Amino acid sequence: MKGHARLAAAFLKQEERAHWHDQALWYVREKRDRMAASIPDWEALRETAQAIKRHALANLPSYLEEFERNAVARGAIVHYALDAAEHNRIVLEILKRRNARLVAKSKSMLSEECSLNEFLEQHGVEVVETDLAERIIQLAGERPSHIVLPSIHIRKEEVGEIFHEHLGTESGESDPTRLTRAARAHLREKFLAAEAGISGVNFAVAETGAVVICTNEGNADLGNSLPDLYIAVMGVEKVIPKTRDLSVFLRLLSRSATGQPISAYTSHLLGPRPGQEMHVVVVDNGRSEILQREKFYKAAFCIRCGACLNTCPVYRRSGGHSYNFVIPGPIGTILAMHRDLKKYKDMPYASTLCGSCSAVCPVKIDIHRQIVLWRNAVVEAGYLGWAKSAALKTATLGMKSTRLFRLGGWVVRRLSRVLPPAVFNNRLTIWGKSRDLPKMPARSFRAEYRSYSRSKKKRLESRVGREGRS
Amino acid sequence: MTDSRRLLLDRFKKLAITGETSYAVYSHLHTGMSDPRRLFQSVIESVGGECRFVADTEAARKAVAGSEVLLAAKQVCSYIKEIAQGNFDAEAMADAHQCADVDLTIVRGELGVAEDGAVWVNADLLRHRALLFLSENLILVVKGQDIVPDMESAYARIDFTRLRSGYFISGPSKTADIEQCLVIGAHGAKSLLVLVVG
Repeated sequence: MKGHARLAAAFLKQEERAHWHDQALWYVREKRDRMAASIPDWEALRETAQAIKRHALANLPSYLEEFERNAVARGAIVHYALDAAEHNRIVLEILKRRNARLVAKSKSMLSEECSLNEFLEQHGVEVVETDLAERIIQLAGERPSHIVLPSIHIRKEEVGEIFHEHLGTESGESDPTRLTRAARAHLREKFLAAEAGISGVNFAVAETGAVVICTNEGNADLGNSLPDLYIAVMGVEKVIPKTRDLSVFLRLLSRSATGQPISAYTSHLLGPRPGQEMHVVVVDNGRSEILQREKFYKAAFCIRCGACLNTCPVYRRSGGHSYNFVIPGPIGTILAMHRDLKKYKDMPYASTLCGSCSAVCPVKIDIHRQIVLWRNAVVEAGYLGWAKSAALKTATLGMKSTRLFRLGGWVVRRLSRVLPPAVFNNRLTIWGKSRDLPKMPARSFRAEYRSYSRSKKKRLESRVGREGRS
Repeated sequence: MTDSRRLLLDRFKKLAITGETSYAVYSHLHTGMSDPRRLFQSVIESVGGECRFVADTEAARKAVAGSEVLLAAKQVCSYIKEIAQGNFDAEAMADAHQCADVDLTIVRGELGVAEDGAVWVNADLLRHRALLFLSENLILVVKGQDIVPDMESAYARIDFTRLRSGYFISGPSKTADIEQCLVIGAHGAKSLLVLVVG
């Protein structure tokens, strides 16, 4: 498996596209900032959101039971799945029992995490992603590169080609409006023909048993209201105690995600519509392990807004597919490490540790701190690789001894003037790939500082002398 | 299945979150809003919708009668007869799929939220809630006195005890999934008009 650095290098080869990707996401980040500034209590809202998550997750069993009780009282059927396999099995069984062959599906990162679509397709169920970006990805046979903007890595000309092949739009069509209209017509047919709808869940309210879903396109709404069978799938962490708490999260979610005041549709479903069968599948799939780790449990607070992706200088410049985990970027990193430290060992290094992710996180997860701690874990487990290990061990030696450090500086300052640059900057030094070694100063910082303090002292003495005379 | 339920709930009994976890009673009202009605209107417009203030039901009727969406519509489904008669009765349809060709739907919104331009629609008043998303165009009618400043105030007024489904609708359906270009009219309504009466 290629690591982040190599995948990112491949992404960056297409310079124009990489630049566009960076700019497009930065634009979303700026919209987020404007939205955050537009309401008076933004920081207090973040504090409250974190406090609610903390409370809800600390008391998860009782809130899950309360949610179940209320959802069941409204006529929903609640299932529990320990892992991805059980989740997939439950969904398939429900579909089979009702003989549903065509599913209109809305976005769900949980279903991506569980590879639900592949599983259902293997068992003869046709799953149609109905979010436009997800549909583009599905037709292209790819995976999302962003958790809120899944097709951000695909250009409109490519969408045109994909639609030409699968939806029969005109060859060479790249107008976003016309392509969207074609998708609307194509998916409207699917909505009307679907025997079941599946969607993710943004929030599940314990107090009422309500499932809350936020979309801009209205796809989840058609998918949960037209078919006679509807399945909502959710990670355990989606449960919040009260209806009132929705006001906190909804005010944060869309503003953080896309810089919108709120998504176009926020659906509150309390049980099935008349004549419908509604299921809610509650999934652990590793969340309990995250919540048992003292330094890392806050990763489970995530509401999947994607703000940390949009702001991350590394994510913006390397694209979501450079990360091997289903969720990319800063939050993806601190979620992936719980799954497989070895497999995702490169992810904590795909970071500058600038802390921008933590600064924008609506539930104030200490993302960049966790990334550092995961680097520790990678080193301790011995997964760093010999080259990096050797470099860091050498550096440690030098940093520990003043004499060695001085000697090293003295040698390099002299050698750098005599030897050709290729000695320092060659194929082996990754650092030099897009940079040159700066010109070395003649003297060390220490020596500079000594002479500076000496001359400063002299200046002071002469001034005191002058003032004394006057 | 019941086994998984017990196992799952047990897994969350011993967690790393320790100490006092109850959260303080909070209130984050959007204070200092000079004119909630104007803000409501400007936010709706910023998300691709239209918002108009009319004095009374009669003025609302005239506004709808003169609107382009009504003039262009073949099938009109109105839940507010004082404002528009309509020619399609969704209540008489046994199946939501029969509402697939509705061009315009006119329904009441119970609340308008100034900070985000969202309108609360109680879908229990409709036999087919899918109508809200199938309809090509949507007109929501809200009373002037029902504009609240923020989401916290809105939720304080919504009664969930018997509700089956309700929606905050803010602007028409939209997507920016192709190169971040905003396109109005993804799967749901291609246009939204919010009429504030009184």
